[in-house]
Amino acid sequence: MWAIIKKEFKSYFLSPIGYVVVGILLLVCSIFFYLTSVQTMSVDLSSLYYYVALYGLIIAAPILTMRMFAEERKTGTEQLLLTSPISITKIVLGKLIGALGVIIITLLISFGYYAIVSFFAKTSIIPVLTSMLGFILISTAAISVGMLASSITENQIISAVITIAFLLMSLFLENISTIFSKLSIINFYNKFPSGIVSLTEVAGLVSFSFVFIALTILVMNRRRVSH
Amino acid sequence: MIEVKNVTKKYGNFTAVNNISFTVKDGEVVGLLGPNGAGKSTTMNMITGFIEQSEGTIEINGYDTIKKTKKAKKQIGYMPENVPLYPELTVKEFVTYMAELKLVARAKRKENVQEVLKETGLEEVQNKIIKNLSRGYKQRVSMAGALVGNPEVLILDEPTVGLDPKQIIEIRNLIKNLGKKHTVIVSSHILSEISQVCERVIILNKGKIVAVDTPANLEEKTKEQNILYLTVEDPEEKMASIQSKIKDIKEISMVKDNEDGTKQYKVVSEAQKDVRKTLFEILPKEGITIFELKKAEASLEDAFIKLVETTEDKKEKQETKKKKEKVNKQEKEQKNKEKEENKNKGGKK
Repeated sequence: MWAIIKKEFKSYFLSPIGYVVVGILLLVCSIFFYLTSVQTMSVDLSSLYYYVALYGLIIAAPILTMRMFAEERKTGTEQLLLTSPISITKIVLGKLIGALGVIIITLLISFGYYAIVSFFAKTSIIPVLTSMLGFILISTAAISVGMLASSITENQIISAVITIAFLLMSLFLENISTIFSKLSIINFYNKFPSGIVSLTEVAGLVSFSFVFIALTILVMNRRRVSH
Repeated sequence: MIEVKNVTKKYGNFTAVNNISFTVKDGEVVGLLGPNGAGKSTTMNMITGFIEQSEGTIEINGYDTIKKTKKAKKQIGYMPENVPLYPELTVKEFVTYMAELKLVARAKRKENVQEVLKETGLEEVQNKIIKNLSRGYKQRVSMAGALVGNPEVLILDEPTVGLDPKQIIEIRNLIKNLGKKHTVIVSSHILSEISQVCERVIILNKGKIVAVDTPANLEEKTKEQNILYLTVEDPEEKMASIQSKIKDIKEISMVKDNEDGTKQYKVVSEAQKDVRKTLFEILPKEGITIFELKKAEASLEDAFIKLVETTEDKKEKQETKKKKEKVNKQEKEQKNKEKEENKNKGGKK
Protein backbone atom coordinates (compact mmCIF):
# COMPACT_ATOMS: atom_id res chain seq x y z
CA MET A 1 0.00 0.00 0.00
CA TRP A 2 2.94 2.28 0.75
CA ALA A 3 3.90 2.15 -2.92
CA ILE A 4 0.51 3.51 -3.94
CA ILE A 5 0.52 6.25 -1.30
CA LYS A 6 3.97 7.35 -2.43
CA LYS A 7 3.11 7.28 -6.12
CA GLU A 8 -0.18 9.13 -5.67
CA PHE A 9 1.40 11.82 -3.55
CA LYS A 10 4.24 12.24 -6.00
CA SER A 11 1.86 12.41 -8.96
CA TYR A 12 -0.03 15.29 -7.37
CA PHE A 13 3.12 17.37 -7.39
CA LEU A 14 4.37 16.15 -10.76
CA SER A 15 1.20 17.62 -12.22
CA PRO A 16 -0.23 21.06 -11.40
CA ILE A 17 -3.06 19.53 -9.38
CA GLY A 18 -1.19 19.37 -6.08
CA TYR A 19 -0.08 23.00 -6.39
CA VAL A 20 -3.52 24.16 -7.44
CA VAL A 21 -5.17 22.48 -4.45
CA VAL A 22 -2.65 23.77 -1.95
CA GLY A 23 -2.91 27.19 -3.57
CA ILE A 24 -6.69 27.35 -3.45
CA LEU A 25 -6.86 26.18 0.15
CA LEU A 26 -4.23 28.70 1.22
CA LEU A 27 -5.99 31.45 -0.72
CA VAL A 28 -9.25 30.71 1.10
CA CYS A 29 -7.21 30.57 4.32
CA SER A 30 -5.68 33.96 3.67
CA ILE A 31 -9.01 35.59 2.81
CA PHE A 32 -10.60 34.36 6.02
CA PHE A 33 -7.48 35.14 8.00
CA TYR A 34 -7.89 38.72 6.88
CA LEU A 35 -11.64 38.76 7.55
CA THR A 36 -11.67 36.95 10.89
CA SER A 37 -8.34 37.92 12.41
CA VAL A 38 -6.76 40.94 10.78
CA GLN A 39 -9.90 43.00 10.30
CA THR A 40 -11.32 42.25 13.73
CA MET A 41 -7.94 42.29 15.51
CA SER A 42 -8.67 38.81 16.88
CA VAL A 43 -6.16 36.11 17.80
CA ASP A 44 -8.83 33.46 17.57
CA LEU A 45 -8.10 31.19 14.59
CA SER A 46 -11.04 28.84 15.13
CA SER A 47 -13.36 30.35 12.53
CA LEU A 48 -10.51 30.40 10.01
CA TYR A 49 -10.37 26.59 9.78
CA TYR A 50 -14.15 26.36 9.89
CA TYR A 51 -14.51 28.55 6.81
CA VAL A 52 -11.75 26.76 4.95
CA ALA A 53 -13.51 23.48 5.66
CA LEU A 54 -16.80 24.99 4.53
CA TYR A 55 -15.70 26.75 1.34
CA GLY A 56 -12.22 25.49 0.56
CA LEU A 57 -13.03 21.80 0.52
CA ILE A 58 -15.94 22.20 -1.89
CA ILE A 59 -13.39 23.32 -4.48
CA ALA A 60 -10.38 21.31 -3.34
CA ALA A 61 -11.98 17.89 -2.88
CA PRO A 62 -13.26 17.52 -6.47
CA ILE A 63 -9.94 18.66 -7.94
CA LEU A 64 -8.05 16.31 -5.69
CA THR A 65 -10.19 13.29 -6.46
CA MET A 66 -11.39 13.67 -10.02
CA ARG A 67 -8.45 11.89 -11.61
CA MET A 68 -8.05 9.18 -8.97
CA PHE A 69 -9.84 6.34 -10.76
CA ALA A 70 -11.35 8.13 -13.77
CA GLU A 71 -7.97 8.87 -15.32
CA GLU A 72 -6.57 5.41 -14.63
CA ARG A 73 -9.58 3.91 -16.31
CA LYS A 74 -9.35 6.19 -19.31
CA THR A 75 -5.63 5.65 -19.92
CA GLY A 76 -5.83 1.95 -19.09
CA THR A 77 -3.30 2.09 -16.25
CA GLU A 78 -6.12 0.68 -14.17
CA GLN A 79 -5.16 -2.64 -15.73
CA LEU A 80 -1.70 -2.40 -14.21
CA LEU A 81 -3.11 -1.67 -10.79
CA LEU A 82 -5.89 -4.22 -10.78
CA THR A 83 -3.73 -7.05 -12.11
CA SER A 84 -1.12 -6.50 -9.41
CA PRO A 85 -1.31 -8.65 -6.27
CA ILE A 86 -2.41 -5.63 -4.24
CA SER A 87 -6.01 -5.82 -3.06
CA ILE A 88 -8.61 -3.29 -4.13
CA THR A 89 -9.09 -2.18 -0.52
CA LYS A 90 -5.42 -1.30 -0.28
CA ILE A 91 -5.52 0.50 -3.62
CA VAL A 92 -8.49 2.61 -2.52
CA LEU A 93 -7.00 3.39 0.89
CA GLY A 94 -3.62 4.12 -0.66
CA LYS A 95 -5.14 6.66 -2.99
CA LEU A 96 -7.12 8.23 -0.15
CA ILE A 97 -4.03 8.63 2.02
CA GLY A 98 -2.05 9.99 -0.92
CA ALA A 99 -4.67 12.72 -1.39
CA LEU A 100 -4.69 13.41 2.34
CA GLY A 101 -0.97 14.06 2.01
CA VAL A 102 -1.76 17.14 -0.05
CA ILE A 103 -4.17 18.35 2.65
CA ILE A 104 -1.54 17.75 5.33
CA ILE A 105 0.99 19.81 3.37
CA THR A 106 -1.54 22.65 3.34
CA LEU A 107 -2.14 22.32 7.06
CA LEU A 108 1.57 22.40 7.79
CA ILE A 109 1.91 25.62 5.80
CA SER A 110 -1.09 27.03 7.63
CA PHE A 111 0.93 26.98 10.84
CA GLY A 112 2.22 30.24 9.42
CA TYR A 113 -1.03 31.96 10.43
CA TYR A 114 -0.59 30.75 13.96
CA ALA A 115 2.98 32.03 13.91
CA ILE A 116 1.76 35.47 12.78
CA VAL A 117 -0.92 35.63 15.47
CA SER A 118 1.34 34.40 18.25
CA PHE A 119 3.84 37.08 17.28
CA PHE A 120 1.35 39.70 18.40
CA ALA A 121 -0.28 37.99 21.36
CA LYS A 122 0.00 34.90 23.46
CA THR A 123 -2.44 32.31 22.20
CA SER A 124 -3.01 28.62 22.79
CA ILE A 125 -2.00 26.15 20.11
CA ILE A 126 -4.53 23.53 21.22
CA PRO A 127 -7.53 24.84 19.24
CA VAL A 128 -5.27 25.04 16.18
CA LEU A 129 -4.21 21.42 16.63
CA THR A 130 -7.75 20.14 17.17
CA SER A 131 -8.89 22.22 14.18
CA MET A 132 -6.25 20.51 12.10
CA LEU A 133 -7.15 17.06 13.36
CA GLY A 134 -10.79 17.77 12.56
CA PHE A 135 -9.75 19.18 9.21
CA ILE A 136 -7.99 15.94 8.32
CA LEU A 137 -11.13 13.98 9.25
CA ILE A 138 -13.50 16.23 7.35
CA SER A 139 -11.15 16.16 4.35
CA THR A 140 -11.18 12.36 4.48
CA ALA A 141 -14.96 12.50 4.30
CA ALA A 142 -14.96 14.94 1.37
CA ILE A 143 -12.26 12.98 -0.46
CA SER A 144 -14.16 9.71 -0.05
CA VAL A 145 -17.19 11.31 -1.69
CA GLY A 146 -15.00 12.38 -4.59
CA MET A 147 -13.37 8.98 -4.75
CA LEU A 148 -16.71 7.28 -5.20
CA ALA A 149 -17.61 9.77 -7.92
CA SER A 150 -14.29 9.10 -9.65
CA SER A 151 -14.75 5.34 -9.46
CA ILE A 152 -18.04 5.36 -11.33
CA THR A 153 -16.95 7.33 -14.39
CA GLU A 154 -14.01 7.62 -16.71
CA ASN A 155 -14.66 11.29 -17.27
CA GLN A 156 -12.82 13.51 -14.82
CA ILE A 157 -15.14 16.46 -15.33
CA ILE A 158 -18.22 14.42 -14.56
CA SER A 159 -16.50 13.10 -11.47
CA ALA A 160 -15.71 16.64 -10.30
CA VAL A 161 -19.22 17.87 -11.01
CA ILE A 162 -20.78 15.01 -9.03
CA THR A 163 -18.53 15.77 -6.08
CA ILE A 164 -19.23 19.51 -6.11
CA ALA A 165 -22.94 18.85 -6.51
CA PHE A 166 -23.00 16.50 -3.55
CA LEU A 167 -20.99 18.77 -1.27
CA LEU A 168 -23.01 21.86 -2.23
CA MET A 169 -26.42 20.22 -2.10
CA SER A 170 -25.72 18.71 1.29
CA LEU A 171 -25.35 22.27 2.62
CA PHE A 172 -28.83 23.30 1.49
CA LEU A 173 -30.73 20.06 1.84
CA GLU A 174 -30.91 20.35 5.60
CA ASN A 175 -32.99 23.47 5.18
CA ILE A 176 -35.63 21.35 3.48
CA SER A 177 -35.69 18.73 6.16
CA THR A 178 -33.45 18.03 9.14
CA ILE A 179 -33.27 14.39 8.04
CA PHE A 180 -30.60 15.50 5.57
CA SER A 181 -28.47 17.25 8.18
CA LYS A 182 -26.28 14.18 8.62
CA LEU A 183 -25.38 14.32 4.93
CA SER A 184 -23.63 17.61 5.43
CA ILE A 185 -20.12 17.01 6.69
CA ILE A 186 -19.68 20.54 7.94
CA ASN A 187 -22.19 19.76 10.71
CA PHE A 188 -19.52 17.49 12.19
CA TYR A 189 -16.99 20.28 12.30
CA ASN A 190 -18.47 22.62 14.89
CA LYS A 191 -16.54 21.74 18.00
CA PHE A 192 -13.08 20.97 16.61
CA PRO A 193 -12.25 24.64 15.95
CA SER A 194 -12.95 25.60 19.53
CA GLY A 195 -10.48 23.06 20.84
CA ILE A 196 -12.83 20.22 21.67
CA VAL A 197 -12.54 16.76 20.19
CA SER A 198 -16.11 15.54 20.37
CA LEU A 199 -16.73 11.85 20.06
CA THR A 200 -19.97 12.40 18.14
CA GLU A 201 -18.19 14.51 15.57
CA VAL A 202 -15.28 12.10 15.20
CA ALA A 203 -17.65 9.15 14.93
CA GLY A 204 -19.82 11.08 12.48
CA LEU A 205 -16.96 11.89 10.13
CA VAL A 206 -15.35 8.48 10.41
CA SER A 207 -18.57 6.61 9.70
CA PHE A 208 -19.43 8.99 6.85
CA SER A 209 -16.03 8.30 5.28
CA PHE A 210 -16.35 4.60 5.96
CA VAL A 211 -19.60 4.37 3.99
CA PHE A 212 -18.15 6.12 0.95
CA ILE A 213 -14.87 4.20 1.05
CA ALA A 214 -16.78 0.93 1.31
CA LEU A 215 -18.97 1.96 -1.62
CA THR A 216 -15.89 2.78 -3.70
CA ILE A 217 -14.36 -0.62 -2.94
CA LEU A 218 -17.68 -2.22 -3.84
CA VAL A 219 -17.84 -0.38 -7.16
CA MET A 220 -14.28 -1.37 -8.03
CA ASN A 221 -14.90 -5.01 -7.12
CA ARG A 222 -18.13 -5.05 -9.02
CA ARG A 223 -16.37 -3.81 -12.13
CA ARG A 224 -14.25 -6.95 -12.26
CA VAL A 225 -17.39 -8.95 -12.82
CA SER A 226 -19.34 -6.63 -15.08
CA HIS A 227 -16.46 -4.94 -16.87
CA MET B 1 1.40 -23.60 -16.28
CA ILE B 2 -1.87 -22.03 -17.23
CA GLU B 3 -5.06 -24.04 -17.21
CA VAL B 4 -8.20 -22.56 -18.70
CA LYS B 5 -11.25 -24.76 -18.26
CA ASN B 6 -14.64 -24.16 -19.88
CA VAL B 7 -14.36 -20.43 -19.53
CA THR B 8 -17.20 -18.21 -20.69
CA LYS B 9 -17.51 -14.45 -20.42
CA LYS B 10 -20.84 -12.78 -20.98
CA TYR B 11 -21.72 -9.10 -21.12
CA GLY B 12 -25.47 -9.06 -20.80
CA ASN B 13 -26.68 -11.02 -23.79
CA PHE B 14 -23.38 -10.77 -25.63
CA THR B 15 -20.99 -13.68 -25.22
CA ALA B 16 -17.45 -12.41 -25.67
CA VAL B 17 -15.76 -15.71 -24.90
CA ASN B 18 -17.67 -18.92 -25.33
CA ASN B 19 -16.66 -22.03 -23.40
CA ILE B 20 -12.96 -22.15 -24.18
CA SER B 21 -10.45 -24.56 -22.65
CA PHE B 22 -6.72 -24.83 -23.14
CA THR B 23 -3.52 -25.39 -21.22
CA VAL B 24 -0.14 -23.77 -21.58
CA LYS B 25 2.75 -25.81 -20.27
CA ASP B 26 5.73 -24.43 -18.35
CA GLY B 27 8.23 -22.76 -20.63
CA GLU B 28 5.93 -22.80 -23.62
CA VAL B 29 5.32 -19.83 -25.89
CA VAL B 30 1.76 -19.84 -27.11
CA GLY B 31 0.21 -17.44 -29.56
CA LEU B 32 -3.34 -16.22 -29.28
CA LEU B 33 -4.56 -15.34 -32.70
CA GLY B 34 -7.77 -13.96 -34.04
CA PRO B 35 -9.42 -11.10 -35.88
CA ASN B 36 -10.48 -8.00 -33.98
CA GLY B 37 -13.23 -8.75 -31.49
CA ALA B 38 -12.41 -12.45 -31.35
CA GLY B 39 -12.01 -12.37 -27.59
CA LYS B 40 -8.21 -12.32 -27.35
CA SER B 41 -7.98 -9.42 -24.94
CA THR B 42 -10.96 -10.64 -22.93
CA THR B 43 -9.28 -14.00 -22.52
CA MET B 44 -6.05 -12.35 -21.43
CA ASN B 45 -7.88 -10.04 -19.04
CA MET B 46 -9.47 -13.05 -17.40
CA ILE B 47 -6.16 -14.86 -17.05
CA THR B 48 -4.57 -11.82 -15.44
CA GLY B 49 -7.51 -11.40 -13.08
CA PHE B 50 -8.47 -7.97 -14.40
CA ILE B 51 -11.97 -9.23 -15.04
CA GLU B 52 -13.79 -12.25 -13.76
CA GLN B 53 -15.14 -14.98 -16.01
CA SER B 54 -18.88 -15.69 -15.91
CA GLU B 55 -18.30 -19.45 -15.93
CA GLY B 56 -15.39 -21.86 -15.74
CA THR B 57 -12.08 -21.81 -13.91
CA ILE B 58 -8.60 -20.50 -14.62
CA GLU B 59 -5.56 -21.74 -12.74
CA ILE B 60 -2.11 -20.20 -12.86
CA ASN B 61 0.52 -22.60 -11.54
CA GLY B 62 -2.26 -24.26 -9.58
CA TYR B 63 -3.70 -21.05 -8.10
CA ASP B 64 -7.29 -20.29 -9.00
CA THR B 65 -7.65 -16.72 -10.26
CA ILE B 66 -10.82 -16.14 -8.25
CA LYS B 67 -10.20 -18.10 -5.08
CA LYS B 68 -6.49 -17.39 -4.70
CA THR B 69 -6.38 -14.05 -6.48
CA LYS B 70 -3.28 -12.65 -4.81
CA LYS B 71 -1.10 -15.70 -5.39
CA ALA B 72 -2.34 -16.15 -8.94
CA LYS B 73 -1.63 -12.50 -9.75
CA LYS B 74 1.85 -12.78 -8.29
CA GLN B 75 2.76 -15.37 -10.94
CA ILE B 76 1.91 -13.07 -13.81
CA GLY B 77 3.61 -10.26 -15.66
CA TYR B 78 1.12 -8.48 -17.88
CA MET B 79 1.67 -6.14 -20.76
CA PRO B 80 -1.76 -4.77 -21.65
CA GLU B 81 -2.90 -3.66 -25.07
CA ASN B 82 -2.29 0.02 -25.95
CA VAL B 83 0.62 0.19 -23.47
CA PRO B 84 -0.89 2.11 -20.57
CA LEU B 85 1.79 4.01 -18.66
CA TYR B 86 2.03 6.86 -16.18
CA PRO B 87 3.36 9.61 -18.47
CA GLU B 88 4.47 11.88 -15.63
CA LEU B 89 6.94 9.35 -14.20
CA THR B 90 10.44 8.60 -15.42
CA VAL B 91 11.20 5.16 -16.84
CA LYS B 92 13.01 4.11 -13.70
CA GLU B 93 10.28 5.44 -11.44
CA PHE B 94 7.66 3.57 -13.40
CA VAL B 95 9.49 0.27 -13.36
CA THR B 96 10.26 0.70 -9.66
CA TYR B 97 6.58 1.40 -9.00
CA MET B 98 5.63 -1.75 -10.88
CA ALA B 99 8.18 -3.68 -8.81
CA GLU B 100 6.58 -2.31 -5.65
CA LEU B 101 3.11 -3.20 -6.87
CA LYS B 102 4.34 -6.71 -7.52
CA LEU B 103 5.64 -6.90 -3.96
CA VAL B 104 9.28 -7.36 -4.91
CA ALA B 105 11.26 -7.36 -1.66
CA ARG B 106 12.89 -4.02 -0.90
CA ALA B 107 16.38 -5.50 -0.81
CA LYS B 108 16.09 -7.00 -4.30
CA ARG B 109 14.14 -4.16 -5.88
CA LYS B 110 16.92 -1.92 -7.14
CA GLU B 111 18.88 -4.79 -8.58
CA ASN B 112 15.80 -6.30 -10.22
CA VAL B 113 14.79 -2.99 -11.77
CA GLN B 114 18.27 -2.50 -13.24
CA GLU B 115 18.28 -6.05 -14.60
CA VAL B 116 14.97 -5.51 -16.35
CA LEU B 117 16.02 -2.12 -17.72
CA LYS B 118 19.12 -3.75 -19.16
CA GLU B 119 17.16 -6.65 -20.63
CA THR B 120 14.76 -4.33 -22.41
CA GLY B 121 17.47 -1.92 -23.53
CA LEU B 122 16.21 0.99 -21.49
CA GLU B 123 19.30 1.71 -19.43
CA GLU B 124 20.16 4.86 -21.34
CA VAL B 125 16.71 6.42 -21.08
CA GLN B 126 15.93 5.35 -17.53
CA ASN B 127 15.87 8.91 -16.23
CA LYS B 128 13.73 10.31 -19.02
CA ILE B 129 10.10 11.15 -18.45
CA ILE B 130 7.88 8.59 -20.17
CA LYS B 131 5.76 11.30 -21.80
CA ASN B 132 8.74 12.31 -23.96
CA LEU B 133 9.61 8.85 -25.21
CA SER B 134 8.88 7.49 -28.68
CA ARG B 135 6.31 4.77 -29.22
CA GLY B 136 8.94 2.05 -29.48
CA TYR B 137 10.49 2.99 -26.18
CA LYS B 138 7.10 3.22 -24.50
CA GLN B 139 6.40 -0.29 -25.66
CA ARG B 140 9.64 -1.42 -24.08
CA VAL B 141 8.81 0.36 -20.86
CA SER B 142 5.53 -1.49 -20.78
CA MET B 143 7.40 -4.72 -21.41
CA ALA B 144 9.82 -3.88 -18.59
CA GLY B 145 6.82 -3.35 -16.33
CA ALA B 146 5.64 -6.85 -17.16
CA LEU B 147 9.06 -8.41 -16.64
CA VAL B 148 9.92 -6.85 -13.32
CA GLY B 149 9.58 -9.16 -10.35
CA ASN B 150 10.59 -12.09 -12.54
CA PRO B 151 7.10 -13.58 -12.97
CA GLU B 152 6.86 -17.14 -14.23
CA VAL B 153 4.01 -16.38 -16.58
CA LEU B 154 4.04 -13.55 -19.10
CA ILE B 155 0.93 -12.29 -20.83
CA LEU B 156 1.71 -9.95 -23.71
CA ASP B 157 -1.23 -8.34 -25.47
CA GLU B 158 -0.20 -7.26 -28.96
CA PRO B 159 3.35 -6.35 -27.99
CA THR B 160 4.50 -5.18 -31.42
CA VAL B 161 1.61 -3.00 -32.58
CA GLY B 162 2.79 0.38 -33.82
CA LEU B 163 6.48 -0.46 -34.02
CA ASP B 164 8.79 -0.07 -36.97
CA PRO B 165 10.25 -3.23 -38.55
CA LYS B 166 13.54 -3.00 -36.70
CA GLN B 167 11.82 -2.62 -33.37
CA ILE B 168 9.49 -5.49 -34.19
CA ILE B 169 12.47 -7.76 -34.76
CA GLU B 170 14.00 -6.60 -31.49
CA ILE B 171 10.84 -7.25 -29.50
CA ARG B 172 10.38 -10.57 -31.24
CA ASN B 173 13.86 -11.67 -30.25
CA LEU B 174 13.19 -10.50 -26.75
CA ILE B 175 10.06 -12.65 -26.60
CA LYS B 176 11.98 -15.62 -27.98
CA ASN B 177 14.55 -15.22 -25.25
CA LEU B 178 11.89 -14.83 -22.62
CA GLY B 179 10.36 -18.09 -23.74
CA LYS B 180 13.42 -19.88 -22.46
CA LYS B 181 12.70 -18.90 -18.87
CA HIS B 182 9.00 -18.05 -18.79
CA THR B 183 5.66 -19.36 -19.83
CA VAL B 184 4.42 -16.87 -22.38
CA ILE B 185 1.10 -16.08 -24.04
CA VAL B 186 1.34 -13.57 -26.88
CA SER B 187 -1.63 -12.20 -28.73
CA SER B 188 -1.34 -10.73 -32.14
CA HIS B 189 -3.03 -10.45 -35.45
CA ILE B 190 0.27 -10.41 -37.26
CA LEU B 191 0.62 -14.01 -38.25
CA SER B 192 4.20 -14.13 -39.39
CA GLU B 193 5.15 -12.94 -35.96
CA ILE B 194 3.26 -15.71 -34.23
CA SER B 195 4.74 -18.36 -36.45
CA GLN B 196 8.24 -17.14 -35.71
CA VAL B 197 7.87 -16.79 -31.97
CA CYS B 198 5.35 -19.39 -30.87
CA GLU B 199 5.50 -23.11 -30.53
CA ARG B 200 1.76 -23.42 -30.53
CA VAL B 201 -1.06 -21.25 -31.82
CA ILE B 202 -4.57 -20.93 -30.49
CA ILE B 203 -6.89 -19.41 -33.05
CA LEU B 204 -9.94 -17.66 -31.70
CA ASN B 205 -12.90 -16.42 -33.64
CA LYS B 206 -16.08 -14.89 -32.23
CA GLY B 207 -15.22 -16.09 -28.75
CA LYS B 208 -14.57 -19.69 -29.71
CA ILE B 209 -11.41 -21.70 -30.24
CA VAL B 210 -11.20 -22.56 -33.92
CA ALA B 211 -7.92 -24.44 -33.87
CA VAL B 212 -4.98 -25.30 -31.61
CA ASP B 213 -1.82 -26.53 -33.30
CA THR B 214 1.75 -25.74 -34.21
CA PRO B 215 2.12 -23.08 -36.91
CA ALA B 216 3.58 -25.64 -39.35
CA ASN B 217 0.74 -28.09 -38.85
CA LEU B 218 -1.84 -25.40 -39.30
CA GLU B 219 -0.34 -24.45 -42.63
CA GLU B 220 -0.24 -28.06 -43.68
CA LYS B 221 -3.76 -28.85 -42.59
CA THR B 222 -5.44 -26.05 -44.38
CA LYS B 223 -3.54 -26.51 -47.59
CA GLU B 224 -5.89 -27.72 -50.30
CA GLN B 225 -3.67 -27.59 -53.31
CA ASN B 226 -0.07 -27.31 -54.40
CA ILE B 227 0.80 -24.22 -56.34
CA LEU B 228 3.96 -23.99 -58.45
CA TYR B 229 5.33 -21.03 -60.33
CA LEU B 230 7.09 -22.04 -63.47
CA THR B 231 9.11 -19.80 -65.77
CA VAL B 232 9.84 -21.35 -69.16
CA GLU B 233 11.01 -20.60 -72.66
CA ASP B 234 8.43 -22.14 -74.92
CA PRO B 235 9.10 -21.33 -78.61
CA GLU B 236 6.55 -23.79 -79.93
CA GLU B 237 3.74 -22.65 -77.62
CA LYS B 238 3.27 -26.13 -76.24
CA MET B 239 2.56 -25.25 -72.64
CA ALA B 240 -1.18 -25.37 -73.19
CA SER B 241 -1.03 -29.02 -74.12
CA ILE B 242 0.98 -30.03 -71.06
CA GLN B 243 -2.05 -30.27 -68.83
CA SER B 244 -3.39 -33.18 -70.82
CA LYS B 245 -0.06 -34.98 -70.57
CA ILE B 246 0.29 -34.81 -66.79
CA LYS B 247 -2.99 -35.89 -65.29
CA ASP B 248 -2.19 -34.66 -61.75
CA ILE B 249 -2.25 -31.07 -62.91
CA LYS B 250 -5.56 -29.41 -62.29
CA GLU B 251 -4.88 -26.09 -63.91
CA ILE B 252 -2.25 -24.19 -65.85
CA SER B 253 -2.54 -20.50 -66.41
CA MET B 254 -0.13 -17.85 -67.62
CA VAL B 255 0.85 -15.27 -65.05
CA LYS B 256 3.00 -12.96 -67.13
CA ASP B 257 4.81 -12.70 -70.41
CA ASN B 258 8.38 -11.60 -69.72
CA GLU B 259 10.18 -9.33 -72.14
CA ASP B 260 13.12 -11.74 -72.55
CA GLY B 261 10.88 -14.28 -74.25
CA THR B 262 10.15 -16.37 -71.19
CA LYS B 263 6.71 -16.83 -69.73
CA GLN B 264 5.62 -17.47 -66.18
CA TYR B 265 2.90 -20.02 -65.55
CA LYS B 266 0.98 -20.97 -62.44
CA VAL B 267 0.58 -24.73 -62.08
CA VAL B 268 -1.98 -26.04 -59.66
CA SER B 269 -2.14 -29.64 -58.49
CA GLU B 270 -3.73 -31.50 -55.63
CA ALA B 271 -2.25 -31.08 -52.18
CA GLN B 272 -0.88 -34.60 -51.83
CA LYS B 273 0.66 -34.68 -55.27
CA ASP B 274 3.97 -33.10 -56.17
CA VAL B 275 4.29 -32.67 -59.92
CA ARG B 276 7.73 -31.08 -59.90
CA LYS B 277 9.56 -34.24 -60.83
CA THR B 278 7.25 -35.06 -63.72
CA LEU B 279 7.50 -31.51 -64.98
CA PHE B 280 11.27 -31.80 -65.16
CA GLU B 281 10.97 -35.05 -67.06
CA ILE B 282 8.30 -34.10 -69.54
CA LEU B 283 8.91 -30.45 -70.39
CA PRO B 284 12.36 -30.93 -72.03
CA LYS B 285 10.85 -33.64 -74.23
CA GLU B 286 8.37 -31.08 -75.50
CA GLY B 287 11.13 -28.63 -76.28
CA ILE B 288 10.35 -26.40 -73.35
CA THR B 289 13.26 -25.04 -71.32
CA ILE B 290 12.73 -24.50 -67.62
CA PHE B 291 14.22 -21.28 -66.31
CA GLU B 292 12.74 -21.32 -62.86
CA LEU B 293 10.47 -23.51 -60.80
CA LYS B 294 9.32 -22.51 -57.38
CA LYS B 295 6.78 -23.72 -54.91
CA ALA B 296 4.38 -21.19 -53.45
CA GLU B 297 4.50 -21.46 -49.67
CA ALA B 298 1.12 -21.78 -48.07
CA SER B 299 1.25 -19.10 -45.43
CA LEU B 300 -0.23 -19.03 -42.00
CA GLU B 301 -2.27 -16.12 -43.29
CA ASP B 302 -4.10 -18.44 -45.64
CA ALA B 303 -4.63 -20.95 -42.88
CA PHE B 304 -5.95 -18.30 -40.59
CA ILE B 305 -8.32 -16.73 -43.05
CA LYS B 306 -9.59 -20.13 -44.07
CA LEU B 307 -10.24 -21.26 -40.53
CA VAL B 308 -11.95 -18.04 -39.61
CA GLU B 309 -14.02 -17.96 -42.77
CA THR B 310 -15.17 -21.54 -42.59
CA THR B 311 -16.46 -21.06 -39.05
CA GLU B 312 -18.13 -17.85 -40.08
CA ASP B 313 -19.71 -19.42 -43.13
CA LYS B 314 -21.19 -22.22 -41.07
CA LYS B 315 -22.65 -19.80 -38.61
CA GLU B 316 -24.02 -17.51 -41.26
CA LYS B 317 -25.60 -20.35 -43.12
CA GLN B 318 -27.23 -21.58 -39.96
CA GLU B 319 -28.42 -18.12 -39.12
CA THR B 320 -29.85 -17.43 -42.55
CA LYS B 321 -31.52 -20.82 -42.48
CA LYS B 322 -33.12 -20.00 -39.16
CA LYS B 323 -34.17 -16.60 -40.41
CA LYS B 324 -35.69 -18.10 -43.54
CA GLU B 325 -37.57 -20.62 -41.46
CA LYS B 326 -38.84 -17.85 -39.26
CA VAL B 327 -39.96 -15.77 -42.22
CA ASN B 328 -41.66 -18.78 -43.79
CA LYS B 329 -43.46 -19.51 -40.53
CA GLN B 330 -44.62 -15.93 -40.24
CA GLU B 331 -45.84 -15.91 -43.82
CA LYS B 332 -47.74 -19.13 -43.29
CA GLU B 333 -49.32 -17.81 -40.13
CA GLN B 334 -50.35 -14.65 -41.88
CA LYS B 335 -51.86 -16.58 -44.75
CA ASN B 336 -53.74 -18.77 -42.31
CA LYS B 337 -55.05 -15.73 -40.53
CA GLU B 338 -56.17 -14.16 -43.78
CA LYS B 339 -57.91 -17.37 -44.75
CA GLU B 340 -59.72 -17.51 -41.43
CA GLU B 341 -60.72 -13.89 -41.72
CA ASN B 342 -62.05 -14.48 -45.20
CA LYS B 343 -63.97 -17.49 -43.93
CA ASN B 344 -65.43 -15.43 -41.11
CA LYS B 345 -66.37 -12.68 -43.49
CA GLY B 346 -67.92 -15.23 -45.76
CA GLY B 347 -69.82 -16.67 -42.82
CA LYS B 348 -71.20 -13.29 -41.87
CA LYS B 349 -72.37 -12.63 -45.38
